[in-house]
Amino acid sequence: MTSSFLSIRNLKKSYGEVVAVDDVSLEIPRGEFLTFLGPSGSGKSTTLYAVAGFDEITSGDILLEDRSILGVPPNRRNIGMVFQRYTLFPHLSVAENVAFPLRVRGQDRTTVKKRVDEMLSLVRLSNFADRMPAQLSGGQQQRVALARALAYDPPVLLMDEPLSALDKKLRDEIQIEIRRIHQETGVTILYVTHDQEEALRLSDRIAVFNHGRIEQIGTGEDLYTKPATRFVAEFIGDSNFLDVASVADQSNGRACATLPDGTVLDGLSTHHVTRHSGRFELMVRPQWLAVAKEGSDGIRITVKDVTYLGDSSSALLETGWGQAIWLKGPAATLRGLTAGQTIMVGWDFAKSELFEI
Amino acid sequence: MLLNYNQLGRLKYVLLGITGVICLFLLLPVIFIILLSFGSSQWMIFPPPGWTLRWYVELFADPRWFEAAFTSFKLGLMVTVLSVILGFFASYALIRGRFAGRGFLRALFMTPMVMPVVVVAVALYAMFLRVGLSGTWLGFVIAHTILAFPFAVIAISNSLERFDKAIEDAAILCGASHLEAIWRITLPSIRLGLLSAALFSFLASWDEVVVAIFMASPTLQTLPVRIWGALRQDLTPVIAAASSLLVILTLVLMTIAASLQKVLNR
Ligand SMILES: Nc1ncnc2c1ncn2[C@@H]1O[C@H](COP(=O)(O)OP(=O)(O)O)[C@@H](O)[C@H]1O
Ligand SMILES: [Mg+2]
Repeated sequence: MTSSFLSIRNLKKSYGEVVAVDDVSLEIPRGEFLTFLGPSGSGKSTTLYAVAGFDEITSGDILLEDRSILGVPPNRRNIGMVFQRYTLFPHLSVAENVAFPLRVRGQDRTTVKKRVDEMLSLVRLSNFADRMPAQLSGGQQQRVALARALAYDPPVLLMDEPLSALDKKLRDEIQIEIRRIHQETGVTILYVTHDQEEALRLSDRIAVFNHGRIEQIGTGEDLYTKPATRFVAEFIGDSNFLDVASVADQSNGRACATLPDGTVLDGLSTHHVTRHSGRFELMVRPQWLAVAKEGSDGIRITVKDVTYLGDSSSALLETGWGQAIWLKGPAATLRGLTAGQTIMVGWDFAKSELFEI
Repeated sequence: MLLNYNQLGRLKYVLLGITGVICLFLLLPVIFIILLSFGSSQWMIFPPPGWTLRWYVELFADPRWFEAAFTSFKLGLMVTVLSVILGFFASYALIRGRFAGRGFLRALFMTPMVMPVVVVAVALYAMFLRVGLSGTWLGFVIAHTILAFPFAVIAISNSLERFDKAIEDAAILCGASHLEAIWRITLPSIRLGLLSAALFSFLASWDEVVVAIFMASPTLQTLPVRIWGALRQDLTPVIAAASSLLVILTLVLMTIAASLQKVLNR
């Protein structure tokens, strides 16, 4: 096995009949910012909690620097964590909160004081040292929680949707803070979110969770340009999935598909056709679609509605077989479209991925 | 709301009247007793023909009254400590535990509160006679702790329910052992709940008379038992004075407990 900093190997966790995490394996290099992205209930938190050590796992192993940490109780794992809910100790001041893990470790007064000051300035809350948690905004509380989790220099920092309770603007601000803190400290971060934009913005790599399994892991660009499953294609970015009547010539990862209205599209990507169910869908990103000349390659559609969105516009289209799809493009190129019009739209078919359903 | 107070019109005054009468009905005996304790009549004639502090002087001069009050106080404190400690353990199991039969256990913990006190008293008396606990301090403490326990469980469960388990988890990840996390984080965070549990536990013992009558011995009497006993011997205004002091301490503690509840519910 390759030796990475943190390895999760064949992790499985069931709650009675419910399998929360099913055979998850991850190799995480030191200093990486890895995000678990997926819908609610997909097993992200359970995986994170397994690393924290709160619950017995059903099977599998977790190794930190090649040593299994399964036998180590959570308070001896030396792992930092920021929770989804606010978890500052309500009866302690900001400074005392940050000092708590250091006091528990028996460090002397001056060391603790110095470290607390360092941490508070890292999260830019030095002026708030004497405040009580109840006197802080949600964003400030999460920053103190971050300072507390980093105070003892943990090898790994876990963050379970730390920003989900905050409003959009504050979220954007703190995302920038988190990125900066990651760069300044070099700590390895496992971050959980269900927000794809947040994942794309923060992460070195993203692991997409679905039904307790990892559907795909890679950089944001990997996931967007080369989605491994239909689920990933749908979760990262917007997608249309065109119905496909039949597929021919599956070789060299290229295929030719016939759509329900008889249109034949050539040179489609078929990286992920394995199960031979014989039923397919064709992924087309709304941004790829463009109005094409009559007689060129593409599909014939009817314009249903055009929406102006500032920089861009989006159009709701209907295919010949009655499927609704979206087109998105610069406002200028869509200006001529009106509802009821029938036009051709085309795109670069080589980018278009066939998914078996 | 179905009934809007502000739209009741004339009916409003009827309601106010009824409320006033009920309040008076509840308060009158207390006011009556307090007034009588300052009345100069040996026979507790009402309205008192004159005013005096004589009965209070007599009360404080009689060591038996003082002894009874001190016994009540000591007993109350012991019951409070026991009831809060047991109440915390029970509440922790009820709120944080994940085991079958929690609902049943919770209901069981509440039984001393809903069971007729006299039934509890007779049952305990019968059992204590058998094991040699009747008339002893230990028996008294156990009996009153049983009565106080449900109040402690309610107060502590409520505040524990409001205290997010994730905060305790955070303390553990910070390096504290589970016990350390409970001691340094959970307990201080729910201190208002603990205080309120302590007050209610103390009161449950302090003004309890039925079980106390069964538990008491000639040498071990609480203040309510002493009042009860004195009443049956002779009717003297000293009893009114003792009762007044009992009522006043109870009122003070109740007020503190009530305002604590208010803070907790915010
Ligand atoms: N303590 C638990 N008891 C029973 N089922 C649980 C428990 N925790 C999580 N689950 C189940 O495990 C699955 C994964 O949960 P979770 O890891 O919290 O998902 P996510 O964090 O991705 O939203 C869900 O179906 C959830 O209902
Ligand atoms: Mg979760």
